[in-house]
Amino acid sequence: MKKRGKGIACIFYGTGYGNGFPDVSRAYARLLKDGKVEISVGATEVGQGAKTVMVQIAAETLGLSDKDIVLINEDTSKTPDAGTAAASRQTYNTGNAVKIACENLREKILDEAVKLLGVNTKVGLHIKDGLIHVKSYPSRNVSLKEIAENNKELKAEGIFTAQTTQMDENGQGAPYWPYTFASCAVEVEVDTETGEVKILRAKHVLDVGRAVNPTLVEGQIDGGFAMGVGYALMEDIGLKEGRMTNGSFEKSIIPTSLDIPEIEKVLIEYP
Amino acid sequence: MNELKIVGKSIKKIDAKDKVDGTAVYPQDIYLENMAFGVTIRSTRPHAYIKVDTKEAEKIDGVIKVFTYKDVPGKNHHGVVLKDHEVFASKKVRRIGDPIAFIVAETKEIAEYAKNFVKVEYEEIPAVFDPEEAMKEESPKVHDRDNVFYHFKIRRGDVERAFLECDVIVENVYKVPMVDHAFLQPEAGVAYLDEDGRVVVIASTQYPHFDQEEIAESLGVNKDMVRVLTPAVGGAFGGREDITVQIHLAIAALTLKRPVKTIYSREESFLAHSKRHAMKMYYKTGALKDGTLLALEAKIIGDSGAYASWAMNVLRKAAVHATGPYYIPNVKVDSFAVYTNNPFTGAMRGFGATQVPIAYEQQIDILAEKLGLTPIEIRLKNCFREGSETSTGQILEGFIPLERCIEELKSF
Repeated sequence: MKKRGKGIACIFYGTGYGNGFPDVSRAYARLLKDGKVEISVGATEVGQGAKTVMVQIAAETLGLSDKDIVLINEDTSKTPDAGTAAASRQTYNTGNAVKIACENLREKILDEAVKLLGVNTKVGLHIKDGLIHVKSYPSRNVSLKEIAENNKELKAEGIFTAQTTQMDENGQGAPYWPYTFASCAVEVEVDTETGEVKILRAKHVLDVGRAVNPTLVEGQIDGGFAMGVGYALMEDIGLKEGRMTNGSFEKSIIPTSLDIPEIEKVLIEYP
Repeated sequence: MNELKIVGKSIKKIDAKDKVDGTAVYPQDIYLENMAFGVTIRSTRPHAYIKVDTKEAEKIDGVIKVFTYKDVPGKNHHGVVLKDHEVFASKKVRRIGDPIAFIVAETKEIAEYAKNFVKVEYEEIPAVFDPEEAMKEESPKVHDRDNVFYHFKIRRGDVERAFLECDVIVENVYKVPMVDHAFLQPEAGVAYLDEDGRVVVIASTQYPHFDQEEIAESLGVNKDMVRVLTPAVGGAFGGREDITVQIHLAIAALTLKRPVKTIYSREESFLAHSKRHAMKMYYKTGALKDGTLLALEAKIIGDSGAYASWAMNVLRKAAVHATGPYYIPNVKVDSFAVYTNNPFTGAMRGFGATQVPIAYEQQIDILAEKLGLTPIEIRLKNCFREGSETSTGQILEGFIPLERCIEELKSF
């Protein structure tokens, strides 16, 4: 017989290393001769989208297009330490380091623009599409390329340290910040003779802060959901006297796309 | 707030096209001139003293060198928190899969063939596989210390008194197994010396700057003499936090002054990297008639396997998240990280916060059933809101939208 049932679950999750561990990300931003901006940062792209979101954050901060950002994140001799690509920390921690580096670079660029434009202050200057304008008089402008050509090298650093407080001997303290929240619902069909479980549909609601790239967030939800299905219903390395009896994909069964239903996703964004 | 132009837009993933059309470069794809190939000899026993004889293997035509612990120029250890892993097992193996030797040969085929000629003599000693057994004083010791290497406590309110006031108490034990990250790309890497004499290690990793430090320490060189390059990484999920190929390759390249490559099979990948901590979770949760949660007592035992890796942090995170996202005024949690002779466990997506929901969410559903409440009602009654205090006394401020998350499920 096949029976159907629904269930829900909620979680919270503390971001970052936590418990007072130094959670530091560093990034460099540098104006290149062609007017593009190079971001070097040691955040590894493990499939989560680090390359893409770091570029988006840099472009947004500098008023450039994503095409004008050159990202370097693959060589320890060229990039500063941005911590590990884990603990859901890269977008938040390193994203902030990139933002700070770009804000610092932006100030240096505007200082140079003040000289080239012959204006008395950088107040009221803004960067748009690779040009620095006097906001109320846009025809007075200078390009990033011209600024780069007129200067030896403009570069800036950004450092961001996540807030975290070590706990005491009673486990009291503020070990993680921020926390994120989520809820999930599924409807399943269970074959009462074979025990087979089929997931018919699912809904996932996630507090994401601000989604830098909503499609990538949805991709993380799909992947995380699939991993959860494997954990709950399928996977076990099958330890016997220290030996994995399911030590390969022959027996360690993981979900495929056929096991995963369409997931209705709701991203709760703030601010 | 200013209107954002690029943040918030679903621009195409920068590396998507290369990954889809097959042009993305993974370490497996890298071939350098005069490159040798390495394979790893691993322990087949969970707990044993070893003696290694590499002479016969080194006589084989095409075998360049068989590396063991004697060939580690710097420290024969690594580890993300405790340096309890050996680069190559020296006296004792603590799990099936411990690296013992690294055969470097002209080709992969020769290196594989030479595996049959490396003699490893095992003197087996009593092993322990159940963490609760391992916690007993008389159990075999995995390292030269107590198997319980971490105990974290949360003490808040008075659980004993609170349980007396509860109208309903639910007590259960939950067990979750070890699982593998199952990332798509098994470990692989290439190491070589660059024109400045630096050791360059190309490997899929999650934290290149930490790998750089660990490699330098085992090479006995300044970390500026080590460069880590991370080409495309085929998934990680925490399974690339600990060292696998990096130090073996670096030692071989530095010693032989030529490029060396290694590629793990899926089976070796299972042996080489960490697993998700198996946990046994004893839960006692109490509530009032109206569904208000009043007390939680939990004991969480994490199987760290043969090495610590991130166990302290994982078991601490499990304890911090043990209440679930619900306000409970009286909480007593004890979490333990325990060495056994099982595969070692470490970081895996969620990092301890993934295991405990299996317990706390089933507890709350069982409470709801006993109290005649719906799963949504009991959660809405207790869920964290702005200003709520967690079991560690942290006051949640800012945007705490859990209530909204739950409300969203009403229409499901």
